[in-house]
Amino acid sequence: MTNSSPGAAGPVAGADGHPGEDLLASYAAGTAGTVTVWSVEAHLTGCARCRSALSAHVDAERLAHNRSVLLVRAAIGDGSRVRRVLRRCGLPDHVLGLLAATPSLRRSWLLSVMGVLAVVAGEAAAVRYGWITAGSPGIIHGYPGQNLAPFLLVGPLLVLAGVAAAFLPMFDPACRLAAAAPFSGFALLLARSVSALTAALVPVAAAAFLLPGPGWLPVALLLPSLALSAFALAAATVLPPRAAAVTAGALWAVPVLLLAATHVPLVIVQWHAQSACAAVLIASAVVLFLRRDRFELGWMR
Amino acid sequence: MDEMTRSVRTAAVRVDGLSRRYGATRALDEVDLTLERGITGLLGPNGAGKTTLLSILATVSEPDAGRVLVFGLDPREAAERVEIRRRLGYLPQELGYHRHFTVAGFLDYVAILKEITGRRRRAEEVARVLAAIGLERRARTRIRALSGGMRQRLGIAQALLGQPDLLILDEPTAGLDPEQRLRFRELLSDLPGDPVIVLSTHQADDIAAICPQVVVLLQGRLHFAGTPSDLAATAAGRVWAADQRETRAHLSWRGGDSRWRHIGDHPPAGAELVTPTVEDGYLLLSHASGAR
Repeated sequence: MTNSSPGAAGPVAGADGHPGEDLLASYAAGTAGTVTVWSVEAHLTGCARCRSALSAHVDAERLAHNRSVLLVRAAIGDGSRVRRVLRRCGLPDHVLGLLAATPSLRRSWLLSVMGVLAVVAGEAAAVRYGWITAGSPGIIHGYPGQNLAPFLLVGPLLVLAGVAAAFLPMFDPACRLAAAAPFSGFALLLARSVSALTAALVPVAAAAFLLPGPGWLPVALLLPSLALSAFALAAATVLPPRAAAVTAGALWAVPVLLLAATHVPLVIVQWHAQSACAAVLIASAVVLFLRRDRFELGWMR
Repeated sequence: MDEMTRSVRTAAVRVDGLSRRYGATRALDEVDLTLERGITGLLGPNGAGKTTLLSILATVSEPDAGRVLVFGLDPREAAERVEIRRRLGYLPQELGYHRHFTVAGFLDYVAILKEITGRRRRAEEVARVLAAIGLERRARTRIRALSGGMRQRLGIAQALLGQPDLLILDEPTAGLDPEQRLRFRELLSDLPGDPVIVLSTHQADDIAAICPQVVVLLQGRLHFAGTPSDLAATAAGRVWAADQRETRAHLSWRGGDSRWRHIGDHPPAGAELVTPTVEDGYLLLSHASGAR
């Protein structure tokens, strides 16, 4: 025998200082107690003879099964860094697994959102500081928020697009599987939509914060973004999903463009509009809750 | 209790008067059907209503009229629909994939949808179906890097997750090479628990090889339900082999032995009657219905 260290087995050691055959068999079968397992493993790390003896007790089929399961776990992996952090925060792993199929949480989508925001915010800053002029010659310049109109239009629409991508079947190639699965369609919809909403709101609010404009703008965009997203989800219980998303987008774009044309774009995020958004949000939430069964029927009809 | 009443009560899946329209097109027209445990093959040309029927059985689509009972459960009731889905494995005809997923990641995702929430249990299930379908070595491969045949096998693998009691496979052998088709037959034959398996296919030899029951749908209507040998027997006395072509035959083609095989009622001179196959029976049925 070479490289053996009889004393290492501690309380599990037999008369010769090595674990007996019965003990190795119970360790291999996974029936040994926790303390015994620790002691045997401490011994095995330093004893080639016992490692060799252990192999005679191992069920080859069970070993192969465990190996294949371990390989699959390695192939699935722990997910992204964000997923690991959220798991440590207590979010269930299986819910985070469902979000992996949400296109608006993918890096390419979020980079696109940030790209659009950079262009719109850059244009707003350029107008504000007079590097370029807005609109055509002859129109009135210098009204409050004239540089913000494109951003006011695009910001909530980007949030809406993220939420729409989270629930539109056209963005989920495996949606037929989700429709035939027992996992609640409404829960899946909410998990995806809330995560997409959060992921889109962060860069929109950050851009609003960095823009030369009123300091309250990041907060003022919150309610319209929530209201639009909730309206789209509620409308999807009545209309085809794509029509619901387009209707919600139009509900925002039309008044913003009209107000921008009349040189009062900031009205869309001021007091009266905020009240209207709150009403839409509450009404949409009620409709969504009452008609939540529509998301359990399968999304094909 | 008479035989019919007993069979209705014990049928795993029962379909009564099922109809479904897409605009002006009648995809299913008052289909009545009972399915027992074991494998049932669904034959029919493109547009016959096979996919519509299977998607209704899979609770993905709703019928316009008629009723479905799966293991005595009615999919119109929310709680019963969920219970059916818990016992279901479904391979749609055109299964889309999240192409950035790995093979194992995709199966893990589907396992979550099937309410297998524990990580260890999911990994065991994914390992089991990967081994069953022979894709263990591809666990880390991105779906976009898989061949068409491998994607089809992945689709079959996801349907097997959770050891379903009702397995609905819409054209599962499309894109599989001959060896993979044979392995697929072996896989279905070895499934534990005697599940109800419904598979649609254009391959009559698949039906003859593994299906104790066969159903023929033509233009949205049920035209035959019985055993493959019964379907073949419908062509008895109407299939001929001859050295010349007969233009009045419903169908005729030259076989590997250079002789012409005719299906129809007009045998050419010197023709010999041959034993009909499942395919012959199916072709005669579809010709008689005007589906071809």
